[in-house]
Amino acid sequence: MRELTIKDAINEALHQAMEADPDVILMGEDIAGGGGRDEHPGAMDAWGGPFGVTQGLATRFGRDRVMDTTIAEAGFFGAAVGAAMTGLRPVVELMYVDFAGVAYDQLLNQAAKVRYMFGGKQRVPMVVRTVVGAGFRAGAEHSQTLYSLFTHVPGLKTVAPSSAADAKGLLLTAIQDDDPVVFFEHKRLYMTKEHVPEEAVPIPFGKAKIVRAGKDLTIVAIQRAVQFAQEAAEALAVLGIDVEIIDPRTYSPLDESAILTSVAKTGHVLIVDESYPRCGLATDIAALIADQGFDSLKGPVKRLTAPHTPVPFSPPLEDAYLPLAPKIVAAARALLRA
Amino acid sequence: MITDSPRFEPFSPDPHAVISESGEWIAPFDLDLDDDTLRGMYRNLVLARLIDERLVRLQRLGKTSFVAPGAGHEGAQVGIAHAIEIGRDWLYPYYRDTGLVAAIGWPLEKLFGQMLATRADPARGRQMPAHPGSRALNVFTVASPIASHVPPAVGTALSQKIAGKGDVTVCTFGDGATSEGDWHAGVNFAGAQGAPIVFACENNRYAISVDLNHQTGSGGIAAKAHAYGMPGYLVDGMDVLACYYVMREVVANAREGLGPALVEMAVYRYGPHSSADDDSRYRPAEEVAAWRLRDPIARLRRFLERRSLWGDEAEEGLRSEIAGELDEAVAAAEAAGPQDVDTLFEDVFAELPAHLERQRERYRLARRAAGEDG
Repeated sequence: MRELTIKDAINEALHQAMEADPDVILMGEDIAGGGGRDEHPGAMDAWGGPFGVTQGLATRFGRDRVMDTTIAEAGFFGAAVGAAMTGLRPVVELMYVDFAGVAYDQLLNQAAKVRYMFGGKQRVPMVVRTVVGAGFRAGAEHSQTLYSLFTHVPGLKTVAPSSAADAKGLLLTAIQDDDPVVFFEHKRLYMTKEHVPEEAVPIPFGKAKIVRAGKDLTIVAIQRAVQFAQEAAEALAVLGIDVEIIDPRTYSPLDESAILTSVAKTGHVLIVDESYPRCGLATDIAALIADQGFDSLKGPVKRLTAPHTPVPFSPPLEDAYLPLAPKIVAAARALLRA
Repeated sequence: MITDSPRFEPFSPDPHAVISESGEWIAPFDLDLDDDTLRGMYRNLVLARLIDERLVRLQRLGKTSFVAPGAGHEGAQVGIAHAIEIGRDWLYPYYRDTGLVAAIGWPLEKLFGQMLATRADPARGRQMPAHPGSRALNVFTVASPIASHVPPAVGTALSQKIAGKGDVTVCTFGDGATSEGDWHAGVNFAGAQGAPIVFACENNRYAISVDLNHQTGSGGIAAKAHAYGMPGYLVDGMDVLACYYVMREVVANAREGLGPALVEMAVYRYGPHSSADDDSRYRPAEEVAAWRLRDPIARLRRFLERRSLWGDEAEEGLRSEIAGELDEAVAAAEAAGPQDVDTLFEDVFAELPAHLERQRERYRLARRAAGEDG
């Protein structure tokens, strides 16, 4: 069976979406060649974004559809809104989610609100692809996850795949969606491989994945934390603790019932997220369980996140910062008194 | 397409005008508008002014919470309205452009429905007053964060460029907007891409209380076009025909693929920034009075009178006709009644997601328990 990395799965999804629908265009910094010099053919494929995710698309579909933009995120985010309103389906690349601040108003007040402010008479089918995550030795301004900044806003959908097949299927759904979607790609997961179907099969939003079934403890894991939780589950199995791992995959919409069903089965829950804890996804999911799953709980709802500090650059500090598997094992044992 | 288009010089030191203060035609080209069109423009100027007066009255009566008076801007707004193809081109107005959306023929009942947030509002009461928008007429719903509509306008123009049908976008804003990062990001992107868009600045010299010299060191707005590789035109915004002719030329150029332009229309706002402002505290009364003497309505009227196209009787008839239309529209907008609370949950997404469905149900139950409808 054919295996692809997340990076290649995303590239394949973009190829297939652009092939299937001429209205799909890509906009971003350095996503085509970076140089904008058509007379220099090598420039067509020189970059493909900092991680090379869009490589080959400019050659295949031309620069009208794969557009190197000016270095002004507010400009091309806003332009994507206006283009999405008038027939196109722009997929915009935000080089790092850390740069969202300079473009945030276009998402917060335009993309997310146009449908509502038009009384439902106008759609904005755009996708923002962006790179998140610590563990790349890149410091405080290239390592954040910031899922909650977008999930907080009514009118935006948010997606954070943790595997290659999910990345492909969810991106296809994002591009076909008639509402704005923010699609988070974790830089430390790009090279993760698995079998990915060759055909373009969209995966619906709002459907969590049970990554591992178990009966003693539910771990709700956010994007890269799925990987950490899988490592931890192996170690916990040795101790006789049978872990169930839920990957919500999309945060707006959130599959609340999958989480509540699992908690009803195990009675114990740990939520793992490498984001800041205050007002973050882990906190939001904890509140959901406290509010609607309280009767099935046999213990406290526990969160394991990064500390509420910026992401440090120093390698030992960054390693200490992340909710890696040993911390999950310790938290699970404390929770189950095992 | 306009083949015999008069040519205006970009970056002129003085504003372009085609009729003098006393109403004489002073342009070096012939007027090519028929009498009905001229009277139609005049009607739209008066309509905009009377809507403005009516809105201020509605606000004082407590029927709407906010107005952004447009009196003094009518020449620019009506000039723009007559220079575009309504329903084909896209318009990205700003919050002082109620006169502009009226001039393109947005039904008055909807306009007042928007101001009063009743069921007559096609946007279902979601926007604050003075924030019109119309999907049917290709009018973007007005954005409150200043200049944040500029990049989306550029995106619409890029989409029009890719579609290749010769449609264009016109984006308006005040002088203050030209300081925003979004404005520069959008205008620069349009220049880099050769997008078919016209940026039209209704420069009334004040951003609330901050005067133009504290807003920019450029001396004016048109000059900024230099930096973005597009022509910039300075126009007398109190001369509706000058606004129309300059806009007609740059819109035609954009339609033919010659790229974007920036038009600065020198206007003045007679009233306060909004119903929450007292302009007498920062503007000398003499300055306001001097600009009022240059009124765009009076100027076009003198022009029409010189051509025997207008007189006191016509004026009286027009004003009472419009007043009647406004009475009717306000009454219809009010009679439509308030929006249903259930609509609160709709249109956040294309489809109602499960969490909003649950919240809607909770609200219904609470309203029922409180003895309200639901």
